[in-house]
Amino acid sequence: MASCHISVQDLAVRYGSVLAVKGATFEVRQGEQLTLLGPSGCGKTTILRAIAGLEQPASGEIRIGEAVVYSSRQAINVRPEKRGLSMVFQSYAIWPHMTVFENVAYGLRVRGVRGRELERQVHDALALVQMDAFVGRGASQLSGGQQQRVALARAFVFSPSVLLFDEPLSNLDAKLRAEMRIELRELQRRIGITSVYVTHDLEEALAISDRIVVMRDGVIEQIGAPDDIYHRPRNAFVADFVGSANLIGGRVKLDRAEDGLIAVETSGGSLVFGQSYGRTVGTEAVLAVRTVHAELRRDRPDAPRNVWPVQIRRRIFQGDFTQYQVDWEDRPLVVRCIAGLPFEEGEQVYLHLDPCHCVLLEPS
Amino acid sequence: MKSKLSRRNVLQAGAVLAATPLLSGIMVRSARAATPTKVLDFQTYADMAKVEQEGELIFYCHENEAGTAGILAGFRKDFPKIKTSYVRAQTGALYTKILSERSAGRFLVDAIQFSDVAPAIDFQKKGGYEVYNSPEAGGYKAEYLSSPAGAYFWTGVTFAGIAYNKNKVKPEEAPKVWKDLLDPRWKNAMSCKISSSGTQFVQWYMLRKLYGADFWKEFAKQNPRGFDSRVQLFDRLARGDDKVCAVAEYAAYTLYKEKGAEIEFVAPPDGLTATPLLLGIVNKAPHPETAKLFLDWAMSNRGQAVYQNDRNLIYGSVRSDAPPMPTGKRLRDFKLLFPSDWPDYIASQETFTKEWNSILGL
Amino acid sequence: MRSFGLGAGASAGQKITALALTVVCAVLVLYPIYYLIQAALNVGDPQARPPEQYGLANFVGVLQYTKILTNTVIVALVATVFALLFGFVMGWILSRTNVPGRATFEQLMALPYYVTPLMGALAWSLLGSPESGFVNQVWRTLGGEGYLININTAYGIAWVMAIFEGSVAFVMIGAVMKSMDPSLEEASQVLGGGRVRTMLRVTLPLVAPGVLGAAVFVFAEMLGSFSAALVLGLPNRFYVITTAMYQLVSQYPPKFPLAAAMGVSLFAVMFVIVYLYRRIVMAGTYETITGKAFRPRVMRVGGLRWSLLAVCLVYLFLAVALPVFTLAYASFQKLATAFPRAGNWTLANYTAAWSMEAVRSALANSLLLGLATATLGVGIMGLLAWIIYRSRLPGRAAIEYLVMFPQAVPRLVFAFGMMWAWLVFPIPIYGTLWLLLIAYLTVFLPLGVRTIAGVLLQIDKNLEECAQMCGAPWGYRLRTVTLPLLRPGVLAAWLLLFIASVRELGASILLMGPKAKVITPAIVESWFATSSELTAAMALLQTLVVGIAVAILLVSTRRLAQLGGE
Repeated sequence: MASCHISVQDLAVRYGSVLAVKGATFEVRQGEQLTLLGPSGCGKTTILRAIAGLEQPASGEIRIGEAVVYSSRQAINVRPEKRGLSMVFQSYAIWPHMTVFENVAYGLRVRGVRGRELERQVHDALALVQMDAFVGRGASQLSGGQQQRVALARAFVFSPSVLLFDEPLSNLDAKLRAEMRIELRELQRRIGITSVYVTHDLEEALAISDRIVVMRDGVIEQIGAPDDIYHRPRNAFVADFVGSANLIGGRVKLDRAEDGLIAVETSGGSLVFGQSYGRTVGTEAVLAVRTVHAELRRDRPDAPRNVWPVQIRRRIFQGDFTQYQVDWEDRPLVVRCIAGLPFEEGEQVYLHLDPCHCVLLEPS
Repeated sequence: MKSKLSRRNVLQAGAVLAATPLLSGIMVRSARAATPTKVLDFQTYADMAKVEQEGELIFYCHENEAGTAGILAGFRKDFPKIKTSYVRAQTGALYTKILSERSAGRFLVDAIQFSDVAPAIDFQKKGGYEVYNSPEAGGYKAEYLSSPAGAYFWTGVTFAGIAYNKNKVKPEEAPKVWKDLLDPRWKNAMSCKISSSGTQFVQWYMLRKLYGADFWKEFAKQNPRGFDSRVQLFDRLARGDDKVCAVAEYAAYTLYKEKGAEIEFVAPPDGLTATPLLLGIVNKAPHPETAKLFLDWAMSNRGQAVYQNDRNLIYGSVRSDAPPMPTGKRLRDFKLLFPSDWPDYIASQETFTKEWNSILGL
Repeated sequence: MRSFGLGAGASAGQKITALALTVVCAVLVLYPIYYLIQAALNVGDPQARPPEQYGLANFVGVLQYTKILTNTVIVALVATVFALLFGFVMGWILSRTNVPGRATFEQLMALPYYVTPLMGALAWSLLGSPESGFVNQVWRTLGGEGYLININTAYGIAWVMAIFEGSVAFVMIGAVMKSMDPSLEEASQVLGGGRVRTMLRVTLPLVAPGVLGAAVFVFAEMLGSFSAALVLGLPNRFYVITTAMYQLVSQYPPKFPLAAAMGVSLFAVMFVIVYLYRRIVMAGTYETITGKAFRPRVMRVGGLRWSLLAVCLVYLFLAVALPVFTLAYASFQKLATAFPRAGNWTLANYTAAWSMEAVRSALANSLLLGLATATLGVGIMGLLAWIIYRSRLPGRAAIEYLVMFPQAVPRLVFAFGMMWAWLVFPIPIYGTLWLLLIAYLTVFLPLGVRTIAGVLLQIDKNLEECAQMCGAPWGYRLRTVTLPLLRPGVLAAWLLLFIASVRELGASILLMGPKAKVITPAIVESWFATSSELTAAMALLQTLVVGIAVAILLVSTRRLAQLGGE
């Protein structure tokens, strides 16, 4: 089950003089849902299109299953239609001149499926996305969400070995997006297909992925399972992009380390304990603490480490949580508290940073 | 490339042959078993069976659209089975076209008619004409045939005087002699033809002979406007766009008079400058026998009647036994001015084109 | 790029098709240009081919014609300014104001294009000749002295050209105005900028690149234009480069080398201009492609809308109704005049025109050629457009330059090159309709490719890529996805090519043969060699027949579309 299905090696893609992807290497396992996550322009869509064959890389190698579909060294470049993949586009790309049935039937017709069999398969696929009632509709009469479902059915109906998703939910409104996210995950589990998913939406990535590849400026920053990425960001970019974080830098005090934790002394003289997660510890270090993992209390919490008195500077009510800015040492720190316990601006409280949430980042 | 060169050599050899009229005449005659066939009421050496087979005639003609169509319509009336098509352009343009085609080895034409002797003689020198001594040639004096005979003949004469618009010009003010064209009154109000016109070339040549080169230098100061065809000249004259036409062909005058235009024709006493219109058949023609038939027809009184009477043509016939023109006049009733020295005339072509272009501001 | 990268990712069929089309284009475009340049450099015997001596003397010769060169520039400049003015005003009125009948007017704005500069020139010549022009006759009847307008001047020619090129400018500028985000203007108004201030400070700067692009394009067109200057300039000894070239090769001995040198100079200048145009347009296209489609905001102009309506009506009157009416009026007279006598009316011009071989066979030939050019053209040009703008084949930029090349060469100039090129071509197509077909396909390459590309670029690239991801090979994709989506564009291109072919003058006038005549040059010849009344009748007959052909086509395609839609 965990065998490698897609392997991308040292992939580089050039747009004119700009290197959009600068040597990306990763694998997608059989049946896995892998997500390429990053801000716009980071090269995630480019990688997806290179896997699809719609973009010609400058160098590197791409394998799908046993087959090399692209290799600069071996001078191989298999045409997109021969790679046995399928793709859901950001714009849905529903053909406006065809009915829902014709749209979904397209890939089957290309593969020579005809008659009853064709009808059955199209019907099954549409049923799976709950669109069987719309089979005779013109494509232009559908709403965004319906088009999305048709695009999905069209993409998997001919049982491709891999499904590629290019920001498929970005054109939907927030509520529908949240629903479709769950449906997509369900569907992917049900048909057990290997898929590569591109998005810039963190929640979406966390919700549907088996593993996530975080990218910035054409470079892969971190690869890992959602909780791994979330809890153990590798560097400042990932820490901040995957949920907001406070960064605390200082000198490493090896002599003060205890209980497997490392100790960092800030310029203000505070000693902050954190987790290294096996990463190399140098003389200087930066710890990342998620804003939701910082804790504010009126009374001093019963913890041995990482507790300081602070003053509330500003309070911003944001619905599901309240965001506080506190003065810690001479710098502001952001803390998000779930509901309850309203602190007043100017109030003196205690800040607690659980050392297991203070993650040592790799030096950049 | 090689084959083309050799073709040109053959062509030149043909021209040398043509230079000996007697020899070529004998050759043609012997090849035709010496007796012409009588068709309708004229004689031809054309093989009528082959004519039927060919069934088509392609004609290049300097004449205007309606005139060209008129010639062919006349021919078709006598030979309804023969399909005809034509290209019309001013003589210069027409000659340029056929030379370009021939230099590329394209032979598309059966018969060609020019309104100027210069290209005709040049074409004869280049061996472009099919040498054919028509049985109808007897009706023509030697001076009205090519020299040596057999290349082309004068299918008619067009002659030009002066014309004016009666609404714009009072009769007493109207020009009476050629030199009246230099009156400043006609500045920016006079028309003539462009340098590719044979009629214009003859007029330039003859009036220069009569009045000296200064005549045209003075004429240039009048800012005359140049046009392509005589019909256009009279169209404008009739409307009053020009007051005076400096090279008014009698044929077009009669056409517009008939339409009811307020115009008058003036025949200067020194004479009307006259231009022969030259018809010949082209060698390597796609339909050689039909071409011969066409030439014989054109030379005969049947063809000449079409040339003289078609309202878009009105050519004066030089055939010895020609009937009068529709106006009742014969060609010999007019005092005509022809160049007497054709080689000298041809030699002055370059000078003419240059001067005429500059007169017209080109 | 590594060698394997050439065309990698493209199917063999795609590569072969692209290669074949490139070769065809290269032959069509470059082969005649080679002969043109060869002739321009010929300083030996002008009749000798290939030339015996090469040199630049002919280009020095061109410089002696300063009057003609300045004439050309003056006419082109004046005409461009007027055309832009018409285009801008009409574009603004029809895309940004609530003038009554906006949609209808937008449709009607295509009419001047169909009327063509040639018909306009013929009609305006009848209207505006200093002596016989109808307008001037009326003027004198009303007690005026001399003449009111003189169409046979640089300004007259520019006026006629501008009226017709105005509809082209309208299409280009109107498109820019529509693609402009109205919120940009609203922002200015919200911030307190008045309507005029908004127009000057926001609207104008925003549409400026588009207007500049249109200006450059129209100017290039004007430099190479032929028919208006031929009909209106010649009577007044007024020559521009194209008409001078035509005169120089029509006389004997023909001044081919000089004419070719003029042509090459003209096309060198136009090449620079078209290059500039493409730079400007390229810089602009990114915005329109990535931009969203906006519903252009319509300005409520209150009572002014009736004045604007009058402006639209006047323009269409001058460009369409007046010329057509004038030609019709003249065509029923023996000698056309503003106040004809009772006996002057006649149908003879129509019977004469209809009986002329030049009209009947030429009209049939023109329609046949129009059908062939349009049908073959959309196929070839559609594929070219796809290869240039949609394929990932290397060298497609080069193909684009090749295809757009004829835009920089006036058609008359191109025809010189073609005349020599196809005369010596081993397959005897010279003097046949095939030559004209080849000529039309060559000179209309940019028109067809641009029209189809315009629609192609609007089609989301993903629609095709999706078909590819579904596993469809290239041909299947083209047939099932690209072509059906392109249908409106293909139909528009077909119609444009059809009409352009039937109306073609510059190339046809030099290339038609005795058995391959077409109608437009026949009309011009008739203008020079027969009466203007007959010419008017011929021009109207042509318009009528083309109109009927287009109408039949539109109706039948609509019916087809309905059948296909059910």
